[in-house]
Amino acid sequence: MAMMLAVLAPFTTSSPAVAQGYHPHAVPFAAKAVTRLSAPRVLANLSSTPNTVEVTITAAPARLTLVRGSVTDVLAYNGSVPGPTLEVREGDRVIVHFRNELPEPTTVHWHGLHIPVTSDGSPFYPVAPGARYDYEFTIPHGTAGTYWYHPHPHHRTGYQVAKGLYGAIVVRAADDPLPVTISEKLLILSDNRFLRGGEVDLPHPGSAQGRVDHENGREGDVLFVNGQVMPEIGIRSGETQRWRVINASASRIYRLSLEGHTFLHVGNDGGLFERPVPVSEILIANGERVELLVRGTGKPGDRSVLRTLPYDRYVPQTRPTDWNGARDLLALQYTPDAPVPFVKIPEILRPIPALDPADATATRVIVMSQGLLNGRTMDINRVDVSARLGATEIWDVENLVGMDHPFHLHGFQFQVLERDGVPEPFRSWKDMVNVPKHQTVRFIVRYDDFPGKWMFHCHILDHEDHGMMGILEVK
Amino acid sequence: MSRSSEPSRCLASLVVVLAFAACTRSGAVSAGSANPRMEPGSLDQVLLGRKMVIEHDCGGCHTGGSDPAAANWLAGRMVPEQDFKIGPFTTRPRNLTPDNATGLGRFSERQIFNALRFGLRPGETPDVEITSITPGVGNFPTTPKYLAVPMPWPAWRHMSDQELWAIAAYLKRGVKPVKNRVEDSEGPPDFWASEYTVAKIGAIPPVAFPTANEQVP
Repeated sequence: MAMMLAVLAPFTTSSPAVAQGYHPHAVPFAAKAVTRLSAPRVLANLSSTPNTVEVTITAAPARLTLVRGSVTDVLAYNGSVPGPTLEVREGDRVIVHFRNELPEPTTVHWHGLHIPVTSDGSPFYPVAPGARYDYEFTIPHGTAGTYWYHPHPHHRTGYQVAKGLYGAIVVRAADDPLPVTISEKLLILSDNRFLRGGEVDLPHPGSAQGRVDHENGREGDVLFVNGQVMPEIGIRSGETQRWRVINASASRIYRLSLEGHTFLHVGNDGGLFERPVPVSEILIANGERVELLVRGTGKPGDRSVLRTLPYDRYVPQTRPTDWNGARDLLALQYTPDAPVPFVKIPEILRPIPALDPADATATRVIVMSQGLLNGRTMDINRVDVSARLGATEIWDVENLVGMDHPFHLHGFQFQVLERDGVPEPFRSWKDMVNVPKHQTVRFIVRYDDFPGKWMFHCHILDHEDHGMMGILEVK
Repeated sequence: MSRSSEPSRCLASLVVVLAFAACTRSGAVSAGSANPRMEPGSLDQVLLGRKMVIEHDCGGCHTGGSDPAAANWLAGRMVPEQDFKIGPFTTRPRNLTPDNATGLGRFSERQIFNALRFGLRPGETPDVEITSITPGVGNFPTTPKYLAVPMPWPAWRHMSDQELWAIAAYLKRGVKPVKNRVEDSEGPPDFWASEYTVAKIGAIPPVAFPTANEQVP
């Protein structure tokens, strides 16, 4: 009895020293001045050949002002955080001349693109410090949408993304069904945490905060949209805007809500789907993308705030104490101009052909526990799932534990069939799906081309880096 | 009424646990992946596991008492009265039946063995043979995450390999699955690691006989 009482006693007298809801040294930035949301610049196309996009990207250390009043040592693509946007069209041949000027290996993963495995930027293809690598691929037809790129080196993805390496990809279609009069906004959501001096706060893994980061995935208290804190988007009453939203955070899940407005959800990871879906809020897990139509239903001069509402993705042991507070992301400011008539949104956007479960030749069960897939951490010399080129398969991704794990499959987009037994209400192409605590997601995928070894993993970058990842070999 | 207001029952269980622990022979640290005497999954093994589960009063917390015929046998917390209040935290006996979604169905017998021998949460610990209790050595996790208090694994770990494997076999093979989602237990961010040091729970195997408290008859 004495032994057990010794175990119990500390919790009746004092709380453990390890902090819950750790708050780092808040950077005293002044975010009061309103800044217009600016999009990252677009990568310049060096090619004059039709249907060819040739760009240069260099990853290198830099010193930038990320928060007002301080300078931060970052890692940046072409000197900016976020990196420049890669804009391409379906059918384009893309050549990226990449140069690694970091002091460590890196890769560039073209998250969500259906491209050859040698250009996927997975841990199998590290680019050494000082080395170059040409990523070459063709954008398949039917894949217009919003994607992003980021490093994917073994064990170091979280660090390199936290230091600033991420950027957007926009794939356009010649036959985009949305009216061209709709203006477009790119919103890259990210968060970060800084020390008093402005440096990125990356605690030692063995420290109290390091262990919490390991568990939850690293979250920051400063929320950015395109690298800006609480920027503003202007809108005219009656105007419709198309927002391409990318969650580039390492672990934060955003539950987006725009006060006084209903979104029209029109696209997911793989672009537009069949019919617009009105939603009052939308959940976007790390790595996911959504396309939203925002209609200017307010009056001239109105102002609304885009917020992320509370969402409990955490285990009880490390749930931040402030998890249940909403956070502001940006302001939507109506101009004083007289309203304009709403544009008509097509009822049918882009038909998504269904993958038929009757064609499935196998059902894969991927069991997610904390930091593990099927009870194991990743071994880069092990193949976890072996599949035949051209096969259609069903994957059941089961989350056994009490926190959400966003799941990402490289190379092949899929269609979600069910979430915890509930049929998916509409079809869309996905390469990410959040698997909420204690739930199962079933999706269907076809390995239509591109043989090779592909990663699948939890997209909480700390989990990915610690081995919550497996390898699919298609041959 | 939570169990925090029923300390007598909680402590009574612990007395049983500790009394039993005093009677069992010491176990080695080794996970002993090879079962020394019983065929894995054999009826003999499952029946030994059943005996261990009944004698150790697993059902006292995890539902069913000591009666395997009781409703929801080992299905975990069914009513709020089964909760424990440990300081600021509420912990809940989890579903020990082999239901895939809500119980132990997706965990291997080795993960269950590791939970009983080392106190390691099966959902947080790789399915590997563990041969050490030093973090980072012999597959022991660098940052171990332990079962919620008051699961009395610090005493039960001293059971023999054979007995622990038998419990795992019984839970996986000898019990029918019951779907019962138990809300996750709360706990400190270190998953009780600071409570389960050698200084606080003793060594495994135990120190040699006789200690200053003991005597050769």
